Amino acid sequence: MSTIKGFLTEDHGRCDELFAKMEDEAAKSIENAKEAYEEFAKATERHFQMEERVMFLEFEQKTGMTQGPTAIMRHEHAQMRNLLAEMGKAMESKDKDKFFGNSETLMILMQQHNMKEEQMLYTMAQQHLSADADRIVDMMQSMIVE
Amino acid sequence: MDFDGLSVDQAPPITAPLRFFATAPIFAILAGFFIFFSDAAALSSRFAPQAIAVTHAITIGFFCFVMFGALVQMLPVLAGVKISNVDKVSKLSYILLLAGTLGMVFGLWFELQKLLLIASLLLGGGFLLLITAMLFAFRTVVHINASIRAMITSLIFALLITLLGVHLLASYGIGKIGASHLLFANIHSVWAIFGFAGILIVGVAFHILPMFYVAPKFEPFFQRFAVLIAVAGLVLWLILNLFADSYAIAAKSIIASLFMVFAIMAWLKVSARRRKVSDITIWYWKSAAVFMTVGTVAWVVNDFFDEKYTVFVSILVGGGFIFSVMSGMLYKIVPFLVWFHLNAKGYMSIPTMNDMINKKATKWQFALFIFSLIGFALSFFVSQFLGFFALTFIVSMVLLEFNIISAVLIYYKTIKTKPDFDMSMFTMKAE
Repeated sequence: MSTIKGFLTEDHGRCDELFAKMEDEAAKSIENAKEAYEEFAKATERHFQMEERVMFLEFEQKTGMTQGPTAIMRHEHAQMRNLLAEMGKAMESKDKDKFFGNSETLMILMQQHNMKEEQMLYTMAQQHLSADADRIVDMMQSMIVE
Repeated sequence: MDFDGLSVDQAPPITAPLRFFATAPIFAILAGFFIFFSDAAALSSRFAPQAIAVTHAITIGFFCFVMFGALVQMLPVLAGVKISNVDKVSKLSYILLLAGTLGMVFGLWFELQKLLLIASLLLGGGFLLLITAMLFAFRTVVHINASIRAMITSLIFALLITLLGVHLLASYGIGKIGASHLLFANIHSVWAIFGFAGILIVGVAFHILPMFYVAPKFEPFFQRFAVLIAVAGLVLWLILNLFADSYAIAAKSIIASLFMVFAIMAWLKVSARRRKVSDITIWYWKSAAVFMTVGTVAWVVNDFFDEKYTVFVSILVGGGFIFSVMSGMLYKIVPFLVWFHLNAKGYMSIPTMNDMINKKATKWQFALFIFSLIGFALSFFVSQFLGFFALTFIVSMVLLEFNIISAVLIYYKTIKTKPDFDMSMFTMKAE
């Protein structure tokens, strides 16, 4: 049986790996790191949407909490999207310092965010949605990113 | 389940951790001046008032201020718990600890007994208030992991060493040094270094190294048993110390081995990190690992020399290990806090974290710190240059304060000048 917590936590780990790879490439050459940046940005956006368009909705429907933890997590997603965009711009203008300044900030923000999700939100989602866990994980896996 | 920790609004105000962080290097500067003006012979005895003053300017003034600042900030994130009235509690305990530490170090330096008595009360009040508030916050924790277990354990040690510390300082205050004074002082210092600071660092490292550097996680076995072994070692050490002193080295070996294994593992994890980008915090973690490895060996070996080298061991473990980790934490947390709070207020044109502190200045600060540390260790054997190393230490701490303050100033400057204000990021994506 799938667990929502296990699935999404594993995806955090995958994003971290891609993040490290992107920084590694950018450290070597900011010009050649575009592919790694896009791979990371795509994986991150997919993760956000899996939550926002599937898991958060199910959670909100089940618990009736629309202004609770999911609203805060959506807000942090917006902050991270913004930093990702800044990194993209820095990459376009080949500004290494700006790129790494933003990537460092994103890393800490992302890790704080992941920790809150893994320790609180996912645990709670698992409790409320355990009967539908397989279906929800399936939906997240098959979701097409908008 | 309490979701307060998830909210930006519910995060402690930036001033709660910052006032601790900005004050810490000033105490280190003060310690540097004490070393400069003190007699090298007096400092080589750990029980001389001058040595106690220097030690506590560092251990309370620097270590505790950084640790408390970090805990106040990180508890909601690391453990998902909230300290009640965090602003008031942190402000009041800060004032008590600040006045208490100043009272203690100057009281010892100038041998002012009344001041020491007052300082013991102020420090007792400050420590107990903050420690119990944090321990109380943990009652709501839902998901206990190795890091949280370590934090709770270290705070319990903090509580015990506070009680011992108040007793010890008050004894100086009333001029009654009991027969058990040295024994209590020994327990106080070993439990403070390994039980409070040591266990806290181990627990936080479990979380922080994989998190910030994408380093491999510590092995589940180690995560599960490290704190347990440390506690068992420290309790056994206490019992042996009380009833069979000559066997205390057995417990010491357990504690030393555990922390040595931790230090070596931390080095290996940091070296195997997936984020290859290196910054000053990596250097600090690595220096901490090296000094702790050497320090634990020296601590055990010291037993065979009638504890003649205790001050030397303290320089390695306290100065090399704890100080390094604390400095690294400052460099990581302060710029992020500034960015985080400005961003939460809606400011978008904020310097990036890397622009807040001059990188060259951090490298100089690190180099001067390590140079001074090695100098202090050597001065234990050849004391002629102690004054010179005290000066280089002071310069490194002035630089540390400058680096921290330059990030803090960016926060206040931005609030004052109010550059652009972009609300677009607050719009939620409609489904």
